[in-house]
Amino acid sequence: MAEAATKEKKEKPPEPVLAERLRLEVERAVQRSLKGVELFAAPPPTVGRTAKTVLHRRGTLSLYHYHATADEIYRVPLLFVMAPTNKAYILDLAPGQSLMEFLLARGYDVYMMDWDAPSDAERDLKIDDYVLDFIPDCLRRVQQDSGEHDVTLIGYCAGGMLSAIHVALLPDGPAKNLVCFTTPVDFSKMELFRSMADAKVFDVDKLVESVGIVPADLVRAGFDSLRPASRIAGQLRLWDNLWNDEFVKGFRMMERWGNETLPLPGGYFRQTVKELLRGNALFQGTLKIGGRKVELGNIKVPFLHVIAQYDHIVPPECAHPLVERVGSRDKEEVVLPGGHVSIAAGANAVKRMWPKLDSWLQGRST
Amino acid sequence: MATSLIPDPFQMWREALTKLEGNANSIVTGSMDSQELMRSMHQLSALSLNMQQAFEKAIGGYLARVNLPSRKEVSELAAALQRVEDKLDRLLPDGAGPAAPRPPRTRRPPPEGAAPPAVEAGTPTPAKPARRTKSAASRGRRRS
Repeated sequence: MAEAATKEKKEKPPEPVLAERLRLEVERAVQRSLKGVELFAAPPPTVGRTAKTVLHRRGTLSLYHYHATADEIYRVPLLFVMAPTNKAYILDLAPGQSLMEFLLARGYDVYMMDWDAPSDAERDLKIDDYVLDFIPDCLRRVQQDSGEHDVTLIGYCAGGMLSAIHVALLPDGPAKNLVCFTTPVDFSKMELFRSMADAKVFDVDKLVESVGIVPADLVRAGFDSLRPASRIAGQLRLWDNLWNDEFVKGFRMMERWGNETLPLPGGYFRQTVKELLRGNALFQGTLKIGGRKVELGNIKVPFLHVIAQYDHIVPPECAHPLVERVGSRDKEEVVLPGGHVSIAAGANAVKRMWPKLDSWLQGRST
Repeated sequence: MATSLIPDPFQMWREALTKLEGNANSIVTGSMDSQELMRSMHQLSALSLNMQQAFEKAIGGYLARVNLPSRKEVSELAAALQRVEDKLDRLLPDGAGPAAPRPPRTRRPPPEGAAPPAVEAGTPTPAKPARRTKSAASRGRRRS
């Protein structure tokens, strides 16, 4: 019996899969050790490399114009409005991973409203200032620079909310089309943020009066607390994939973006907490900006809302009401697989969101 | 890689990490309904902020006493200089000659049924909406 088993053992070669797997893991372990050392000394990854000109800077605001790369461009320029909490280079991470580069190659004239850390003098900036000052100012400059009256406004997250409020208040303005990515409307569905902002546990006035500008660490901690274990898990995944240069490059760019979360003007933060999170005023139709009630039904321009199916920051149920509320006849909502960031940047965005955005804009940009 | 009857411990570890992350996130975010926990979190962050402010004030006072600017003041000065430089760049003629002419704004959309756009990062497939109704929201979530 034992002899037969030995014979069978001799006839059967060692399992190649296991040997191959072990060899691979040893190789990766060596690579991890070597590249782990390199990682400590590596400078921050370069981001935002698409050629652009600074058209205007004013305090926290920067307006960029990306250099056209197509021989012939669409008539209507695009003006992106980034969320005031984050840098806009998430849409221009690296060649081949840049929505800006993609749109330029597809023949669009692209402008971007980006934000820097607000100065002490800007501590009292409110949503009103973003909607009724910064956005109209940039629209005017885009009109002047491009020589076109019509402009397509494209807002990401809170940038989408600011853009939608702007168009709702100034429906006869130059915005020809409105595109929003992952834009919150019904804040009652942002349950964790609401718990954090609850008046019983959080005195927003006391915080704003003491700091003036809400520190970036606090803003970042707010986002991190939605998925508290993910930062540590991310570091473990980085270690696991240290052998993979592409993974490390992508991880470091995203990590840099997350770490460069911006501080917020106290006035903006207070308004967001009190009126949007606690009062749900945009959804209820009671939000007043510049003394005027914001009625999303006033938005009549062609409208596209791109929602991320697995968004943990702006859950789909928080974003859905926007398309229902806007008064446009030409309106569309698309829910694409992805998270809050991966919907706009990353491999899935390249395959899904970018072509969708391009196909929607094409016929509306002439 | 071919399938094997022998479990891959590394793959098991990766799957366990994802599961652990999901569970830990659910437990912690689930407990955020507790007002006591939220109050403690805010108190902790307020304490940390106050300490930071006190430290910065003390350092600021010391730097002022020895007539040195703080890092923040230097950064603000650098940002102001950058703004001036940007404006000068826009006002002064470019040494390389006149600005390149801009492309004409005459582009038209490709005809219906034309090939989808080519993306540098790979050939894209046409966008596939997961759902276009509210019911998409009721589905499970996963990592972004």
